[in-house]
Amino acid sequence: MKIAISAQNLKKSFNHTEVFRDFSIGVEQEKITAIFGPNGSGKSTLLNILSGIVAKDGGEFNIENFNHFEFSYIFQNYRESLLPWRTNFENIALPLEIQNKSRQEIQQRVEELQKLFDFKFNWESYPYELSGGQQQILAFMRALVTNPKVLFIDEPFSALDYENNLRLREYLQKYYLAFKPTILLITHNIEEAVHLADKIVVFSKKPTKVLEVIDNPQPYPRTVQSLKAEQFHQVKDEVLSIFQKAINL
Amino acid sequence: MKKYTIIGPILLILIWAVAAQLQLIDKFFLPDPFTVIGKLVELLGSGAIIGDLFSTLGRVVLSFIIAIAIGLPLGLWLGRSEKIYRSVEFIIDFFRSTPATALFPLFLLIFGITDKSKIAVAAFASMLIIIFNTAYGVMHAKKSRVLAAQIMGATKAQIFRWILFWESLPQTFIGLRSAVSLSLVIIVVTEMFIGTTSGLGRKIIDSQITYEIPTMYAIILLTGIVGYLLNLLFLTVEKRFLHWSGK
Repeated sequence: MKIAISAQNLKKSFNHTEVFRDFSIGVEQEKITAIFGPNGSGKSTLLNILSGIVAKDGGEFNIENFNHFEFSYIFQNYRESLLPWRTNFENIALPLEIQNKSRQEIQQRVEELQKLFDFKFNWESYPYELSGGQQQILAFMRALVTNPKVLFIDEPFSALDYENNLRLREYLQKYYLAFKPTILLITHNIEEAVHLADKIVVFSKKPTKVLEVIDNPQPYPRTVQSLKAEQFHQVKDEVLSIFQKAINL
Repeated sequence: MKKYTIIGPILLILIWAVAAQLQLIDKFFLPDPFTVIGKLVELLGSGAIIGDLFSTLGRVVLSFIIAIAIGLPLGLWLGRSEKIYRSVEFIIDFFRSTPATALFPLFLLIFGITDKSKIAVAAFASMLIIIFNTAYGVMHAKKSRVLAAQIMGATKAQIFRWILFWESLPQTFIGLRSAVSLSLVIIVVTEMFIGTTSGLGRKIIDSQITYEIPTMYAIILLTGIVGYLLNLLFLTVEKRFLHWSGK
């Protein structure tokens, strides 16, 4: 197994509150890894450190062959990262424009992605005319349009109703199977974590440690049917038990 | 335009008419609105005021163009770095707080008793407002959008062109709208001073001196209409192009 993302002895404090003290983690290449843990355990902080938005206080981290053009990060507040002065199409095109791709290439990539997502957008309208769920799908497509090798996703489905939530999970898996990126996913929803991930990493309270890494061997694509499988419940129960210990409940 | 927006002007004319009718103020100093409006129509119809109108408008437009040409790039540039802006903030705020008309004698010394000094002082004051608003627009850009672009690997130039510039536009437009109003105010006031025989300000002061009171009111009314229309023009452009503002 090849490790694509790693951190050793990472240190980070905010106003004298220690989030990470000698924190280490390894994320396998071409796998979906979900991070599940208590509030304030530094899940978003970890993603922000790894992507260079937030400075570490100490330790080391590495993303293999890191390159901004092959990396995407879907923020929690996706609504505020879409550009309201650009049409929906121009929003998706932004990362490709940044990479100086031709109009034709952009058009082609967007069409490919749209086939995968099987979602009809009015490309000429603006993000503020879309519902919250549609905006999230738009932000997703914007992140995937560059074919990233590494994808960070922070609470992607929290604003969605259950139906759209399931739909977006399906799209993400389709994309994953087609392009096999390394995905690091933060979620507060245990069902989401187990449904999507190969590996579920459970965090402790701060100062944060990795309590356990649990495998979910269910094959992809995982459908709604997979949610009802015996194996799904076994893995979910296991994750829950570890989480229970983490929060002393 | 909504139907009820017509209530405002009607109300104004009504109050004016009642005040004139009741002779709350000497009729000589406050003619009734219909006399004034009649006078204005006559002035415009005969073309007597057209030359002055265009000379004032010409000065306003010229000073405004100069203010944009200098203020907009400077504001965009200063806003890119909060440190740079803060270090010159005092100068901008100081001159912004100084009544521009107080600087007019100084501009007269520098530019002479010509149109240049009027245009320069109006341009100067408008420019400060444009700098201030544009720089603030850039500085207060949503961090999340800039961050998203940075993560996509955007260069500084790309972030500026595709994000910061657009982010600043709503605030810039507020600046432009205030600046054009101020420009009109300064031009009209300075026209009253010295160094010109044309312009609405000149004609207001002339008719005051010669006690052509209805003419004075008519031209005051005209300057008001010009100011209002300029504001309306900017609001319309803003609505059309900044449809996304605040979304």
